[in-house]
Amino acid sequence: MPAPPRVAEAIIGWLIPPVCREHVLGDLHERYRSTSQYLHDAMRTVPLVILSRIRRITDPQLLLMEAFALYLSFVIAAWWLGPASFLYEDWGLLRLAIPTAVTLLALILVDAYANPARRFSLKPALQAAIGISFAFLSQSILWTTGGEFAVPWKIMMYGAGGSLILISALRVFFAAPEIRPRGGA
Amino acid sequence: MASPESAGQFEQLVLTAILSLREDAYGVSIHAKVEELARPKAASLGAVYVTLDRLEDKGFVSSWLSDPTSARGGRAKRCYKLEALGERALQESAATAKRIWDTIVEVWGKEWAKEWGKRWGKEAG
Repeated sequence: MPAPPRVAEAIIGWLIPPVCREHVLGDLHERYRSTSQYLHDAMRTVPLVILSRIRRITDPQLLLMEAFALYLSFVIAAWWLGPASFLYEDWGLLRLAIPTAVTLLALILVDAYANPARRFSLKPALQAAIGISFAFLSQSILWTTGGEFAVPWKIMMYGAGGSLILISALRVFFAAPEIRPRGGA
Repeated sequence: MASPESAGQFEQLVLTAILSLREDAYGVSIHAKVEELARPKAASLGAVYVTLDRLEDKGFVSSWLSDPTSARGGRAKRCYKLEALGERALQESAATAKRIWDTIVEVWGKEWAKEWGKRWGKEAG
């Protein structure tokens, strides 16, 4: 019986959120006729599966609270750390919105790819840490390219610390049961 | 009593496919049936998944994982079945389609309806 190449199947399987992986990979396998058809089928299907999972799992209220908490953390860090002038610089407030937006985007993806079957008490903190690490990654790209939109590393450090605490707390108390840890509120 | 959510056109196609497939309603078979119903328009497998998720959220269908089969590389199927809300939405859609048809026949005449009937008969083979 013809079957798709194992490497292609493994890569596509890795791209599909775990909740949908089993049946979507099975359906793609069943439709397999040739490698090019399989890849074409997967390219047309997987993005929609990811978007649908994001739509199902994303809680707009929680997302709004997280956006507010993140931005507030970075603004307070910038104000607290001395060069209060940073807030009055050209694009100062916009520059602080970049790590906020990147973290939010990462959190949306983390939720979409989370396995609801695996629940542990440190999951919200781990998810927040993953989200924030993406903000650091984006900032390091901005720092290395000498971009004027980079946020000073000290503000990033303190802002990230505050964000980590706030996002973890919000997720423990307000996240949907599917992404909330066992024993959470 | 609040009226239940209605189904969009593509949702109606997916609900009809699930209804006609009975116990064999899963991703690949639903997609094939939807393509048959939507002719000459094409439908992607991804669009069918998105619609199935939305229908499940609305409470129109429910799903479960079947046993894995070797034809699918040892992977399970996600099977779907219509729930009472879905049946009601489909009945409402059918009644609306019937009213549209009756109104068109009233305006364009019975000859036009006969002509279309013949065309549909040919398509059905």
